[in-house]
Amino acid sequence: MTTDFEMQAFKTNGSDAVGRSLTTGNGANHAYRCRDEGSVLLSAQRNGHSGETMPSGCVTAEAFAGSKESAAHKVKRELSEAVCGKVRLWMLLVLLPVVIVAVVLISLGVCSAIHEDTDEKFNRSSFRVARLFNGSFSLPGLTFTEDLLSLSSNQSRALTGDLQGKLSDVYRSSPALGRYFSKAEIYALRPGSVIAEYQLTFVMPEEHQEQLRSFTLSREMVYNVLRQFLYDQEGRGASPSSALYIDPVSLKLS
Amino acid sequence: MWLASIMFPWQFLTFLLALSADMCKAKECADFVDLELAHAIIGTTLKIRLLLFTRDTIHCGSFLSHVNFSADPHFNLSRPTTFVIHGYRPTGSPPVWAHQITELLLARKDMNVILVDWNHGAANVNYFKAVENTHQAGENLTGFLKLMKEHGASLSDIHMIGVSLGAHISGFVGANFNGAIGRITALDPAGPQFTGTPPEDRLDPTDAQFVDALHTDIDAFGYRGALGHIDFYANGGTDQPGCPKTIFSGTAYFKCDHQRSVYLYCESLNLTCTSRAFPCSSFKDFQDGKCTSCEQFGDAGCPVLGYDIDKWKHVLLKLGQSKNYFVTNEKAPFCMVNYKLDVVVWNEEDHWGYITVKLHGNGTDAVAKIDHRATQFKKFTETKLFAQFDTDLQAVTKMSLMFSTGNVFKPKYKLRVLRIRLTHLERYDRPLCRYDLVLEESKEVSFAPLPCQESNF
Repeated sequence: MTTDFEMQAFKTNGSDAVGRSLTTGNGANHAYRCRDEGSVLLSAQRNGHSGETMPSGCVTAEAFAGSKESAAHKVKRELSEAVCGKVRLWMLLVLLPVVIVAVVLISLGVCSAIHEDTDEKFNRSSFRVARLFNGSFSLPGLTFTEDLLSLSSNQSRALTGDLQGKLSDVYRSSPALGRYFSKAEIYALRPGSVIAEYQLTFVMPEEHQEQLRSFTLSREMVYNVLRQFLYDQEGRGASPSSALYIDPVSLKLS
Repeated sequence: MWLASIMFPWQFLTFLLALSADMCKAKECADFVDLELAHAIIGTTLKIRLLLFTRDTIHCGSFLSHVNFSADPHFNLSRPTTFVIHGYRPTGSPPVWAHQITELLLARKDMNVILVDWNHGAANVNYFKAVENTHQAGENLTGFLKLMKEHGASLSDIHMIGVSLGAHISGFVGANFNGAIGRITALDPAGPQFTGTPPEDRLDPTDAQFVDALHTDIDAFGYRGALGHIDFYANGGTDQPGCPKTIFSGTAYFKCDHQRSVYLYCESLNLTCTSRAFPCSSFKDFQDGKCTSCEQFGDAGCPVLGYDIDKWKHVLLKLGQSKNYFVTNEKAPFCMVNYKLDVVVWNEEDHWGYITVKLHGNGTDAVAKIDHRATQFKKFTETKLFAQFDTDLQAVTKMSLMFSTGNVFKPKYKLRVLRIRLTHLERYDRPLCRYDLVLEESKEVSFAPLPCQESNF
């Protein structure tokens, strides 16, 4: 009942001023009804259903009849009193919590949007100190040929290029090591099926060097990031007979 | 024709059943006295009945005379004897677990199991009256044990298992023999009227050569402090998982925690699985993973809850009183599997949150939630967590991790992990590791763990 009343009043309110100023007979009609009605309750009901707002003169007239007013009606009337111009008290009361909730939600949204992940920020140009690792691994899927002895041969170049690409991809995509990774180089190929010797170059900032050396850029991390990549490959069904298969057990790093 | 062949074994079985029922009737099996609530309201006076069960009479006990042993040919004093003593019976009903524990004990060892039925005396709405009766029950049983000793029984071969008030009765009997009895096991020893009393008025470690206690309801009917050589606290000894949390569940609300001690002990008897308990100063420290070391126990490892704790007897007697903690599942099998989880992160800012670990292997899953409180993860610092899984997996092929903070409005954090290491605390398996992970909040990350290699950080 009450919400119904509010909704209707809200809808008609805007057009009300226009309607009243256009038709002159409208205001007179109100005045007549107010004078005529003895029962306050009836007038409240009719007011609610018609949704029409009464001219200010009518409100004062009703206030005189207040001795018989019920408490509910009194509250209803007070709520529809004008606070400022066309803004009614109930409108303010409804609007206030809506505004508060909106402000909270917007600020939370803004906070999440502008939240910066400090771990994603780094200045690569400040990484000047190099850190090198050497190691080897074997490729059981290949057979060693004379051509592989020299790194300048076409066969060697193709193989080292592929392997370097593979190592670079692993380290570049690593969340922890990617930003420090500089390059991967295959510097020798030996028989034993084929054993490749490699060097990894990382660069790191001058500050916090010791911590980086013993944690993020420790031998354990650099070694295991590659090791777990090789094991994962095995889990995905990489066959030991394929050309670029690296045996995880053969992996060495120092 | 095939119908008949199926029907035959059934007919045979029912015949056998009827026959065995007849035999039982003929011998008149002795059983617990079943009292009505009315008896408990009026109050009962103490009357102790001893029911003897042996391997020959597992399902059909016999009354044992307090004075004339020769009347029962099954009572062989060269065998060890175990007494099972129940506690307060506010409704007068016989304990539901009485036959279960008897059968399990006899399955373990050839012995005399004596169910001490003091339902007349324990059935009383007035708890204080039942407490009073414990002293007299203790004197009564002392007399019986003296007679057993005179007939050649060894006190060292006597084990008394006391539930609630029964634990203190065992203590009174033990005190009368100056602690010469072999072992007393207290299953959630009663707290009200015993808490704060001097050792002679309750069970204490001097009452037997070895006293082990299990606490499951220290915040209501149980005894909070330590009163044995070893005291086990299941889930901290307070609220047991799977027990009702509101009074709307009826009587289970009152007795579930208290009774859980018996079911945990029964599980240790039937050897389905083992619950390791870790010595610790408090349950909080235990949950925080501060008490995962079992070195003081040597190769045996940390004590296992229940019947087989006497294997640790000598080392425990040397250590003095020790409080041991463990956690359980909601229902049987109650045992959980303990792992240590070490995490090293490289986040600049500290993050707080909870970790859920799932292990997969051989088609089964095991889950551990580390959520008793938010854990702090600090850059380049090893965070030690204690993970308890609901089931044991022999081989772990896949593992899932989830980091959550419980924040709804805050931005989604990412936990950047250098290394996680999962170590089984009971088997000496090689720990499992995974390196270089990013755990986005509330997102599960799955991977295949690999055996750890030597670690330097």
